[in-house]
Amino acid sequence: MDGIWRVTATLLRAPFTRRARQDLGFCLIGAITGAAGFIVVTVVLVPALVISVSIVGTVVGLLLVVAAIGIARLLAALHRRALRLATGERVTAPAPFRPGAGLLGRLDQRLRDRDGWRAVGYTGVKLPLAVAEGYAITAVGIGLVDFVYPLVWLLFRNHSAGTRLGPLIAVAPAPGGHWAIETLPGTLAASLAGVICVVAGVWLARMLIAVDARVMRFMLGPSRVSELERTRAIAVEDAAAALRRVERDLHDGAQVRLAAVAMNLGMAQERTGDETLRDLLDAAQSGVSGALADLRRIARGIHPPALDSGLADALASLAATSPIPAQVRVELPQRPSQAIETMAYFCVAELLANAIKHSSANSIEIIIDKERPESLRVRVTDDGTGGAEPARGTGLAGLAQRASTVDGKLHVSSPPGGPTTVAVELPMRVRGGGI
Amino acid sequence: MRVVIAEDAAVLREGLARLLGDRGHEVCAAVADAEALRAAVAGHAPDVVIADIRMPPTHTDEGLRAALAIRRDFPSTGVLLFSQYIETRYTSRLLQAGTGGVGYLLKDRVGNVADFVSALERVAAGGTALDPEVISELLRRPDPGLASLTPREREVLALMAEGRSNSGIAGKLVMSEGAVEKHIASIFGKLSLEAESADNRRVLAVLRYLRA
Repeated sequence: MDGIWRVTATLLRAPFTRRARQDLGFCLIGAITGAAGFIVVTVVLVPALVISVSIVGTVVGLLLVVAAIGIARLLAALHRRALRLATGERVTAPAPFRPGAGLLGRLDQRLRDRDGWRAVGYTGVKLPLAVAEGYAITAVGIGLVDFVYPLVWLLFRNHSAGTRLGPLIAVAPAPGGHWAIETLPGTLAASLAGVICVVAGVWLARMLIAVDARVMRFMLGPSRVSELERTRAIAVEDAAAALRRVERDLHDGAQVRLAAVAMNLGMAQERTGDETLRDLLDAAQSGVSGALADLRRIARGIHPPALDSGLADALASLAATSPIPAQVRVELPQRPSQAIETMAYFCVAELLANAIKHSSANSIEIIIDKERPESLRVRVTDDGTGGAEPARGTGLAGLAQRASTVDGKLHVSSPPGGPTTVAVELPMRVRGGGI
Repeated sequence: MRVVIAEDAAVLREGLARLLGDRGHEVCAAVADAEALRAAVAGHAPDVVIADIRMPPTHTDEGLRAALAIRRDFPSTGVLLFSQYIETRYTSRLLQAGTGGVGYLLKDRVGNVADFVSALERVAAGGTALDPEVISELLRRPDPGLASLTPREREVLALMAEGRSNSGIAGKLVMSEGAVEKHIASIFGKLSLEAESADNRRVLAVLRYLRA
């Protein structure tokens, strides 16, 4: 008995809680924006897709598709906000959209905006939810009207005997759900039905919001892939930054100290007349020089200092040390991110070393340019004997692997007899990264 | 010599000041960044500047940029760049003006005090002083002219390109100045360079050739 009372009490108390008001508020907004959003997105998207199939309408159609995705993204933000206001639950927004460069790149990025398409998908899924949410609101509204019928009867139906009046119409939120009431006890029955409607509506709203929240987390939150892309970008850029830091620490720390030691040894050498001591100082001096040379080599392997002034400078320095004449051309309108610059540099370093070692070429050409707006292309061409194959373990496979950590691609063209061109395509910045 | 030092590592800055002071040179100012360096040069009009390449605030190539500006605005002040690294690119930017009064040495070189100070004196006098590593990078360039040199001629060429005088080369290679002269004539012949009598002009001709 106790249990039943408690359940009944909870059921009946639910409509008077703050949460019920928030749930119903969410349902009201959700029903309107959900339905309206679905209509708008469909009205834009469907004709857009139809038009874009035809040759003439492709551009207009695709622009409309982009518009539909944009609207869906805006709606998604609205839905997330409504959920947060109603329940305090935060659905993390996916990373903001980053447009590509150039008209085509821009369009292409827009069309491949995975989070945008998920938002479009949500407008479809939201439609039945919006209908149900609307239903819950309606049930509560109708229930409230039904509930006050006895009062209406007492206030407005106390006419003198013999007056003929039409019956009151009670409504229930179900098909064919209305009936005529002609007596006071009849209004009490309607009132009871009203209570049931309100309670049912409130609980339905609560259930719907739970379902909707799940769907939103799934469709309007960051997707697993974009989350992984984001964290990978952080990892790659962090690693590059960490290596730069190591190089800088070496430069400002150990290398400075050793240079100071060399200087002091030099001054000591100047002052001593003792042959034996001079020999010892000489030995110490050459030890320090060796250590400094080692450190320079290590630092260069970590982060070549000239890279701070850009790829063009760094590659010119690199090419200058090549025993085979190497021309460098860098045509980049803006600088790629640090991690990408470092990667491009080491790709060239490795390809250059390969060409020097294997190609017996007379000249090497290093070109970095932009083939597409959001990616850069590193090409190292030699006029040597050709026959380079990634499968033959010439380091090309390792290079391809390294490039793949940022979605880069490696193309090798090396027919027997040459010439050999190895092209590495890298994004301007690691996909999913903030900068 | 009147010297201004720009070096962000205090231990090297003070060490250099002491080293030069001990040898009777006047260190007018010892500063830690490029901004202060320009001010010091404008204020003291020194004979020569020793500048680290990597200095605050960006720790990239501000020393080099300051050096180029000083060479442009104060032609009588020589600039010796002093760095942990040899970057070929920086070398060619430094040599672009092609007028001498510049140097580029690794910081290790200060270990040989006499050599270091004489390099600094050359730069102050409008000559050049390039690190052996700079030269070995330049000489690595494939070139038929260079390939035709004998090993001894290559040695002479390297020392000449560093900016040394005939007597300096003779001292280093333990030969007579006359022998050095003969080697140089042969080198200029093989590289088809116009014979120059003045040390400095000869060095510049060689460097022009190596950078071509």
